[in-house]
Amino acid sequence: MNYGIKAQQLFENIQVAPDIEGIYRRMGFNKKLTQLTAKDAEKINNKIEQGLSYCHNKGVFGRFEINEKDFDFVKINNDLIFKSKGIAKLLAASDEIVLMAATSGAEVAKKIFDEVQNGDITFGVILDAVASQNTDAILDWMMGFLNKVLTREGKRLTKHRYSPGYGDLNLEYQKVIYQLLNLERLDLKLTEKYMLVPEKSVIALAGIERI
Amino acid sequence: MNLLQFKNYLENKLLILDGATGTELQKKGLPLGIAPEAWVLDNPEALIDLQQEYIKSGSDAVYSFTFGANRLKLSQYGLQNSVTDINRKLVEISRKAVGREQFVAGNISSLGVFIRPFGELDFEEAVTIYKEQVQGLVAGGIDFFVIETISDIQEARAALLAVKESCQLPVCVSMTFDADGRTLTGTDPVTALITLQALGADAIGCNCSVGPQAMVEFIRQMRPYSKVPLLAKPNAGLPKLIDNRTVFDMNPSEFAEWGQVLVEAGASLIGGCCGTTPDFIAQLSLEVKNKKPAPVKPNNYSALTSARKTVFVGGSNPVTIIGERINPTGKKQLQASLREGSMAEVRRLATEQITKGATVLDVNVGMPGINEAEVMVKAVEVLAVIADTPLSIDSSTVDVIEQALRIYPGRAIINSISAEKTKLEQLLPIAAKYGAMFILLPLNEAGIPKTAVERYELIKLVYNEALKFGFKKDDIVVDGLVMTVSSDQTAAVECLNVIEWCKQEFGVGTVIGLSNVSFGLPERSCLNSAFLAMAIGKGLTMAIANPSLDTIMQTKMAADVLVNKDSNCQRYITYFTAAPKEGLSVIEKEEVSIEKQIYNSVVSGNKEGIIPLLQKAISENYQVNKIVDEQLIPAINKVGELYENKSYFLPQLIQSAETMKIAFEYLEPYLRNESNSDQKAKTRVVIATVKGDIHDIGKNIVVLMLKNYGFEVLDLGKDVDAPSIVQAAKDFNAKIIGLSALMTTTMTEMKEVINLARKEGMTCKFMVGGAVVTQEYADEIGADGYSEDANSAVKLAQRLSE
Repeated sequence: MNYGIKAQQLFENIQVAPDIEGIYRRMGFNKKLTQLTAKDAEKINNKIEQGLSYCHNKGVFGRFEINEKDFDFVKINNDLIFKSKGIAKLLAASDEIVLMAATSGAEVAKKIFDEVQNGDITFGVILDAVASQNTDAILDWMMGFLNKVLTREGKRLTKHRYSPGYGDLNLEYQKVIYQLLNLERLDLKLTEKYMLVPEKSVIALAGIERI
Repeated sequence: MNLLQFKNYLENKLLILDGATGTELQKKGLPLGIAPEAWVLDNPEALIDLQQEYIKSGSDAVYSFTFGANRLKLSQYGLQNSVTDINRKLVEISRKAVGREQFVAGNISSLGVFIRPFGELDFEEAVTIYKEQVQGLVAGGIDFFVIETISDIQEARAALLAVKESCQLPVCVSMTFDADGRTLTGTDPVTALITLQALGADAIGCNCSVGPQAMVEFIRQMRPYSKVPLLAKPNAGLPKLIDNRTVFDMNPSEFAEWGQVLVEAGASLIGGCCGTTPDFIAQLSLEVKNKKPAPVKPNNYSALTSARKTVFVGGSNPVTIIGERINPTGKKQLQASLREGSMAEVRRLATEQITKGATVLDVNVGMPGINEAEVMVKAVEVLAVIADTPLSIDSSTVDVIEQALRIYPGRAIINSISAEKTKLEQLLPIAAKYGAMFILLPLNEAGIPKTAVERYELIKLVYNEALKFGFKKDDIVVDGLVMTVSSDQTAAVECLNVIEWCKQEFGVGTVIGLSNVSFGLPERSCLNSAFLAMAIGKGLTMAIANPSLDTIMQTKMAADVLVNKDSNCQRYITYFTAAPKEGLSVIEKEEVSIEKQIYNSVVSGNKEGIIPLLQKAISENYQVNKIVDEQLIPAINKVGELYENKSYFLPQLIQSAETMKIAFEYLEPYLRNESNSDQKAKTRVVIATVKGDIHDIGKNIVVLMLKNYGFEVLDLGKDVDAPSIVQAAKDFNAKIIGLSALMTTTMTEMKEVINLARKEGMTCKFMVGGAVVTQEYADEIGADGYSEDANSAVKLAQRLSE
């Protein structure tokens, strides 16, 4: 019983608490080596907090049956073939695939741009790291949510997820995933070169396995 | 069955519910992949047989087979136009099965999509969809409603409102909590209970997801706060997927053993969910046949809820701080943000106040030039998701309050309801309908009574009116009405008298808008803190205040201890030992020369302090080129070193670079004027993010760094095509072209630029970088160099310009 949760879900508002250490790591902070005064740390933390207030977190996921797979491809939805050994390996034990998209929204992307244009690149860089970590946290939240649903079905998600543009999975796949998940609903656009707009939006996929 | 009959029944007798239906019907031939409701309409005997088996097993009520009979679910089978008919007919089949002696519960469940603010489905649309189903169930002749297997509190609210706005029949709401004790959207049992009973549910409980052992715990948690009977319908243990079929690990007797435990924990309506069969119900009903329902006797308490948390107020609980900052009055930034339709400032103020100790957030968006109702709904939707703290809905407009309460997935408090006749008439029914608490404002059309005694009369008047709508004293908090002591020195004392009277004589909680007391006086925080301490001493329950003011929170923490509302001083100790610890320090203030201070300013990234230091140095006749050569450049080199050995991280590097840039810009005119300054020609660099790529923050950092190291940089921006870059490089007479790309699909454009430049006979050097670019790729496309970050980009540019 899947409790009537539809195979595609869109979340208009998602609460996440991105890992602050992760934000620092993205900016090159090294716990053992980097020296930061308490005053500077407070300033940066304030900016991180401010940055998070510009994030409007949305996400969507869709579950699709895997029709066919081999060591170098996975076929879903009867006509979409992911040609990627990485994906084939990730989904080796999966019967279904989950396609996901997450965004921190247009406002934070605009804020990053504005701050850099206005000359406060420091704040721009902090915002950039905040929004990146935040978008990852949205994907983590969706995977956590899905895992709760899947537990009830005796299933679980693969531990890792994959994104087009990484490993041997071409970025071009963003287009079909964009269409399958109808990402216009998240106010996302895709450029000719398959980039999501606004920035700090991510597409990812993971597998569903039996426990 | 009317509500009274329902209550009477459950006061005297347990109500045994049925077990699983869908899986049992599959055993009787229901195939997968078709509309189950339509199959039952074609094969009514299967359902009649099953439900009669349940009745024979001891069930007092069966659920109508309408779990998925809502418009959204039926539309998957093209049956969306027959919702009412299908529901009516399915109820009629159940009635035929159980007769008039037993009950048919009208089953409503999930729509399959999440509702705003969490999901995409509009709240009103959800209510409308549910109402359609309610209509069919009522027409079929159900005895009461069961809203079941709900994983989202907002969906439960939509279904419950649909029932309450359609008929008078009793309604049970049964949530689904996972093993971690929360619904999918994060609501715990107590929070669900308080929210739903305030909204008018007549019985509340849980079904599915877990077995009886875990469910006992949920029922135990709810019991002390439950003003209505509790329901439990657990699964037959835990699920396992065997041969593609879900099976459960309990047998009927193991399951039934938990029956008595569930009843003793407080469940009055019990049955089974997934994996249970008529055998399970037969053994369960035997097990509990001599048991009486536990009486509904909740503790006295006042509570507010968000979607994920309950905040108890008054009694022995610490004083609740209602954060007052989400209010545009006097806040230009919030005003501008709201006017632009942005919620960023609302989010920031919410987070800040929660971090500082607010446990309830007041939300007021009243200002000229906006649609208050629309903005309020938007703010409440955002806060409902990002803030675990319940909300205080603050508006002078009745409609704004109603719209906010309707969509808020928790139990809010209304700020406020006065004794003014129109306010009473309009707001009390709304507060009652949505189960909100309210702040009672003891003023009327004649204004604010000056003395406490006059205010008592208004408090009693409002309370008596509220009684008619079912309110109890626990649902009300009286505003002591703090007036300004600078204009009337008796004002504070009168307010304290109201607080004391409410606590000692009338038995109701109190709240004050703290900062009013000090208006017009210096050192307001002293007066505010003193007044807060005195009010807490008199028995104050809540204060509307700015939690970001440390003195307020410190006073509250201390006063909570002194009036014994902080067990073992735990909160006090936590609050005062959680202050941030000093981190490592690189640069400390010291008495050093002006040159050293300039150097230190760059190293520490003191953007604000650098110009005054330079001004001072120039006024003291320091040579500008010496400042540059002996302080600024060594300082930025030091920063590069610190970054390379990871003593610094990116914000520190950039902060220093920005300080350097400010210094250079300030000194440039002086450098031009100094006759002996070294005006050697700067190396010119054209830089761009290539065509199709929209990411440019990395490139911008490189630009900043290059400028600091004396390069003359023309930044073409992002998404720039090859001909434009090549032409700009020619026009600018660039010695170096820097190219940036973040994605695999765009880095190929770098090659286009290099090829075009070479084709046109240009001899300039190329440096490349970006997330996916590597040294190998740089070599492959014929670039002269690759750098992985801004610091190494400077070194590369220096090498290429030699």
